[in-house]
Amino acid sequence: MSLSRRLHGGLALMLMATLIVAVGAYAGVRQDAFLTSFNLNNLLLMTMPLALVSLGQTTALLVGGFDVSVAALMTFCVVVASYTITPETSGLALVPGIFAIVGVGLAAGILNATLIRVLRVPSIIATLATYSIFQGASLLLRDHPEGTINSDVTSGLAKSVGFVPLAFAGVVVLAVLADVWLYRSRTGLRLRAVGLDDTSSRRLGMSTGRIVFVAFVVCSVMASLAGFYLAVEVQIGSPIIGNYGLESIAAAVLGGASLAGGRGSFVGTLLAALFLSLIDNVLPLFQQPTEYAEMTIGVLILLALVLYQAPELVARFRTNWGGVGRLRAREGDASA
Amino acid sequence: MSNPGPASPVVLSLRGVSKAFGAVQALRDVSVDCRAGEIHALVGENGSGKSTLLGIASGFLAPDEGVIEIGSRKRRRTSPAETRTLGLGIAYQTYSHVLDLSVAENLYLAAPPALQPKYGQMEEWAAARLAEFDLDISTSARAGSLSLAQRQLFEVVKALLARPKVLLLDEPTTALGPEDVEHLHSLVLAHRRAGVGIVYVSHRLPEVLEISDRISVLRDGVCQGTFEAASMTEEELVTLMIGRPLELAFPERPDLAEHRDVLLAVAGLQGDRFGPIDLEVARGEILGIAGAEGNGQVQFLRALAGAERATGTAICDGNALDSRSPVGPLRAGVVLLSGDRAAESLFPVLSVRANSTVQILRRLGSVGLLNRRRERRTVDDLVRRLRIRAASIEQPVQTLSGGNQQKVSLTRPFLRGDVKVILAEEPTQGVDVAARFDIYDALRAKVREGVSVIVKSSDPLELAGLCDRVVVMSRGRIVDEIHGDDLGERRIVEAIVGSRAPTDPGSGPREAAA
Repeated sequence: MSLSRRLHGGLALMLMATLIVAVGAYAGVRQDAFLTSFNLNNLLLMTMPLALVSLGQTTALLVGGFDVSVAALMTFCVVVASYTITPETSGLALVPGIFAIVGVGLAAGILNATLIRVLRVPSIIATLATYSIFQGASLLLRDHPEGTINSDVTSGLAKSVGFVPLAFAGVVVLAVLADVWLYRSRTGLRLRAVGLDDTSSRRLGMSTGRIVFVAFVVCSVMASLAGFYLAVEVQIGSPIIGNYGLESIAAAVLGGASLAGGRGSFVGTLLAALFLSLIDNVLPLFQQPTEYAEMTIGVLILLALVLYQAPELVARFRTNWGGVGRLRAREGDASA
Repeated sequence: MSNPGPASPVVLSLRGVSKAFGAVQALRDVSVDCRAGEIHALVGENGSGKSTLLGIASGFLAPDEGVIEIGSRKRRRTSPAETRTLGLGIAYQTYSHVLDLSVAENLYLAAPPALQPKYGQMEEWAAARLAEFDLDISTSARAGSLSLAQRQLFEVVKALLARPKVLLLDEPTTALGPEDVEHLHSLVLAHRRAGVGIVYVSHRLPEVLEISDRISVLRDGVCQGTFEAASMTEEELVTLMIGRPLELAFPERPDLAEHRDVLLAVAGLQGDRFGPIDLEVARGEILGIAGAEGNGQVQFLRALAGAERATGTAICDGNALDSRSPVGPLRAGVVLLSGDRAAESLFPVLSVRANSTVQILRRLGSVGLLNRRRERRTVDDLVRRLRIRAASIEQPVQTLSGGNQQKVSLTRPFLRGDVKVILAEEPTQGVDVAARFDIYDALRAKVREGVSVIVKSSDPLELAGLCDRVVVMSRGRIVDEIHGDDLGERRIVEAIVGSRAPTDPGSGPREAAA
């Protein structure tokens, strides 16, 4: 593996880890409220929806696509949850309700993947269209926040050991396993190859269509899980939720995913999601308006992208400019 | 060449294969077969359908009609994965490397699942495979960091990985030097001895005649027949490849004055894919550049226009050309007509009028506003002169035929008064016959005004008819020069396929850099 590629992957992980530690340490020193078990537990719980949807978004980015419909799909899942996970149901009766939400994700994923792979609509257009459809469907079911969501599930999902929620630990394990799969397995290599070069991959006998299809279905299913988690957090069937579409892309990119496909890291994405939540968590402690959070994130994305590209830019500079320079007119020749 | 004889089993058979891309019929009812232990060459001009035929045999392209038979399995539709398990290996002309992955990873992906080692043992396995085929490249190198020659040899190694019964090689020597060609040929011959059937596509006829047992000729997507290599000469092959009796009326060449001044002088120009090149173009001359595709012709033209990096010097009309970006050459009056019209020359959704005048808007304006009447008059006049067939000059360019689109891109050098050199890349590609000759007339008319034209074309007939002089490029260098009475279609084709050593030392290979 070449140096620049190693750096590309490692750089994102290092930058995110450093930023999390730096911001955390600063907040810990300045604000007593930050390093409390309650706050850290809360931070990790708040990270969950973004972490889940961003992991899904990373698979879409890996095959060279986008899924901007995830935010609307999450909203739709919250609304569906307000019908299927009501306070009246309890115990095992909740299981079909949870499956219904994952089923919604599966169906949405198949719809997106069919548009993209079978009907050949560019992913950004296809998912923009389905974004509107999902958003409209949510408003059709609940035109204003109503319908309480079962709180038994909430406490179940918030179960923690120390300040670490079990669900979060599960997501960490998932991300690590996914990265090991991506960089240490035959099928992971295939996924990266398809993202990097579709034509060559087809020539090498890969069914690129199926791989892209599955990637988009996985993305939607992860978004529906994120929607489920969000539902039990907000506990009401709200048709209006956060800007998860762009934030999930931001997390994946900050975590090292390339918009051109074929590169990315699930652990990096998870760290970036944690970092984005951390900023949201810390600013109120300093009595800073949350508007700053959005601006900070924007600036960071720009800085990170430039930084991640640096090794490649340097490598390109060396090979292209060093060996073959520009067409230069030598002095004296012009008069010939 | 020993002949395997008709007794050898047929390992690959294509029957009645047809394939169209849009309106272009790339293949029409083509049938060829390849026996075990033979090298079956496929020759034809650029665009005659060779690569399409191989793509269909490998399952990468689906034929519109016809049957593919590998071993004794018949298929109407197949896939690269299936043909690989049936025993077919293919080296694509444009490769199948994922450039951002390492050599080991690429090799791993090229192996059928049964041959893939455990993921963790990939590096050792890849090193062993490369050693087996005598290919000295690092397994950890990025495929994109390999030289073109290494990429080409690596592509062949990937094709041989699964020990195929039939091997398809599409132009496997374009990027190779003589030593590498020999290395490759010994590898191919060893596989032939082992009973592998090999389909060998190449435009280099001496190579083809040297190595093959049988030869099939394609022309315009139609198979002209299959012949025993031993009974064929290069001349006969060339006749079959061109096959056109037609000699259309090209614009008359003016008498070339003996000592016309040099308008463009290129010295030691060298880029990624070509050079060093020394070349002089006289004022009012049409110079043709011939050669098989991918031998640096396009890169050379683009470097002159500042669209590609190069070292060396170019002097236009006494001034050094600043080719660091397209701006310098444009200011100096050097205009590139890109072969990729839709992507690089035209604004497809804009009108004929807007496309023609985009570079001279300042001249058509007054007090910062465009004088529409003046603009329209200018364009109308030009549309008449170039015989552009459009409903009106407001018609979007993308709705015109290919020939008329090309003429619209030609309007720009006509409207600019300061053009000195026109670099035309495939000026008549995809253009119907009538429009073709309008374009030739237009270029000739421009030349009479003292402009020089360099035409890069893959059509030898066009070069022979249009140009005052033709240089032939191979592997990035000028290897031959044809002018005067010598200038003919056959002579150009012969020079391209390398059957003729340059006779005149003065116009021969200019190997020494200035």
